Amino acid sequence: METLQYTLRKLITGLPLLFGVTLISFALMVYFGPDLTYELVGKNPTQEQIERVQSELGYDQNFLVRYLDYVREIVTLDFGQSFSTGEPVADLLARTVPVSLALTLPGFILGNLLGILLAQIAAWNRSGWLDKLIMGGAVVGMSISFLVVIIAAQVIFSSSYGLNWFPVRGWSVYSLADYLYHVAVPTLALVFVSLGYNTRFYRAVFVEEMSRDHIRTARAYGTPPIPLMLRDVLKNSLIPIITRIMFSIPMIIVSGSLLIESYFGIPGVGKATFDAITTGDQPVLKAVVSLTAVLFVLVLIINDILYKWVDPRVSLK
Amino acid sequence: MSINQPANPGVDGRLGPDEPVKYKGPGPATGLDSPLRKAVYKLRRDRWGMLGLAIVIVYALIALGVVLGLWGQDWSSTAGPRWAGISAEHWLGTNLIGQDIFNRALYSTRTAFEIGLVVAILSTLLGALLGALSGFYAGTWIDEIILWKKGVLDAIPFYLFVAAVAFALEGNAWAMHIAMIATFWTITARLVRGEVIKLKNLEFVEAATAIGASRMVTLFRHILPNTLHILLVQGTIVFVSAIKSEVILSFLGLGVQEGTSWGLMISESTQEVLSGQFMNFIVASTMMFILVMAFNLFSDSLQDALDPKKVH
Repeated sequence: METLQYTLRKLITGLPLLFGVTLISFALMVYFGPDLTYELVGKNPTQEQIERVQSELGYDQNFLVRYLDYVREIVTLDFGQSFSTGEPVADLLARTVPVSLALTLPGFILGNLLGILLAQIAAWNRSGWLDKLIMGGAVVGMSISFLVVIIAAQVIFSSSYGLNWFPVRGWSVYSLADYLYHVAVPTLALVFVSLGYNTRFYRAVFVEEMSRDHIRTARAYGTPPIPLMLRDVLKNSLIPIITRIMFSIPMIIVSGSLLIESYFGIPGVGKATFDAITTGDQPVLKAVVSLTAVLFVLVLIINDILYKWVDPRVSLK
Repeated sequence: MSINQPANPGVDGRLGPDEPVKYKGPGPATGLDSPLRKAVYKLRRDRWGMLGLAIVIVYALIALGVVLGLWGQDWSSTAGPRWAGISAEHWLGTNLIGQDIFNRALYSTRTAFEIGLVVAILSTLLGALLGALSGFYAGTWIDEIILWKKGVLDAIPFYLFVAAVAFALEGNAWAMHIAMIATFWTITARLVRGEVIKLKNLEFVEAATAIGASRMVTLFRHILPNTLHILLVQGTIVFVSAIKSEVILSFLGLGVQEGTSWGLMISESTQEVLSGQFMNFIVASTMMFILVMAFNLFSDSLQDALDPKKVH
């Protein structure tokens, strides 16, 4: 009951955020966005045809009317059809979102798990050579551009100048084997690029936790390293870990995959949204931006509920 | 850490932890117990940080040389042969359309510094200003509005935001800078807000109020300078983020519009690597990697020197 009340209250406080996101996305992407008139009228249009298309697109209305229209369509989930392909936006999302998730989730999960593992090793060996090695590696990893990692991974694993094990680009996935075949190189790139940041973040969290009294007591009792690091340190560090992972979720679904999707020619939602921005495909933009913002608010709420689940002392007020 | 506060006891051994701290009065603190001087001392003893700083200075000199016209001027000429190897004429060979890679890499250093400095300075100033106001007026409508703006910007995916700004400004060469400044200030503002909330209840603020300093003078003259350590570290972090984002934005066609950059070179190289031509890719990514790495090392040691609470 307390959780439900809390959720409802949080949803209401999320409204100004949704208002801001829709306002900015409308102003930037639609009002000042690309003009679609001449793409839709066809060749040699008459003045009348131009005006008809403009009024269909709502270009003859003022800012407020168009914004309210935009919000009304979001609230009623009436996203309509893509301007460029005529495909219903709901279908487009149903087609592209699973691809993006399948593409980024393995890398995201592995990147975090490996980051936690390396951070635990580094924190246990704090100031030792292993710690210095891991943290030095993390700084090196953080200093390499994502694009460079992708190109290098492609050359090494997918081109005839390297191992030539995986496809250069594309996404023709019909079975599990296909999936593993296509997802391997993007996953490798994602893990590589996130590992440095993750390891540094998690190590700082673990080192701080290890300076607490209960860890000192556990060590004094002779708890072996693995139970100590997992049961005592990891479990008590869950709140910052959950926060980091939760807040990455809205971003990995949309923007995290944009670069990989563009580079490998994979039909995911990141690429679809990017194309929508460059062509002024208002219905697609509206759907993606508003869904991301809603997801963001939901993440804020779920995050706080998870806090309580992990640490019963936290009160939801 | 506060520059205006009396020195911490203990470091030079003259004051034990149980002795009262002697307040030495206002004015420039001198001697080893000045926190600023201690930070500089600590920074100078950090070998990796100093190595990073030295490399950054070398790059800055390269960039300055390009601005002054000493080198890297011949970056756009397509006179050379396509994909020439290393020679006396083309030190690092040429690219797909016969441009000299060495000159392009030098010129790109200037582009990187221009982007990094503009974005780091402006977004840090914006973050400092908004974070300070937000923290000083915490709990009021001013704070609410700034927090709301921050939340909205955090809820829009970065690359989509940049793409939208780029198209709204229709190919303006500064679109990328503006979009980065508009999004990167939020982290600085959050950190400054937290610090200002902590500082505004300290005695020196009360003292400033007592001698009749106005609220704005208290905030910008007395409180904000004490967040300098956050601003310096954030500035270096934003510098690195800006250079790294430039690469991805240039690849997406939203980045550098005039001149050339490491991002544009790496984007060009995507057409070359599958034909086995790696020079452009290797030169641009190595130049960039060394600068970013050096900046990261410097940024870390700056943080170590300025933030006594940081865990090692």
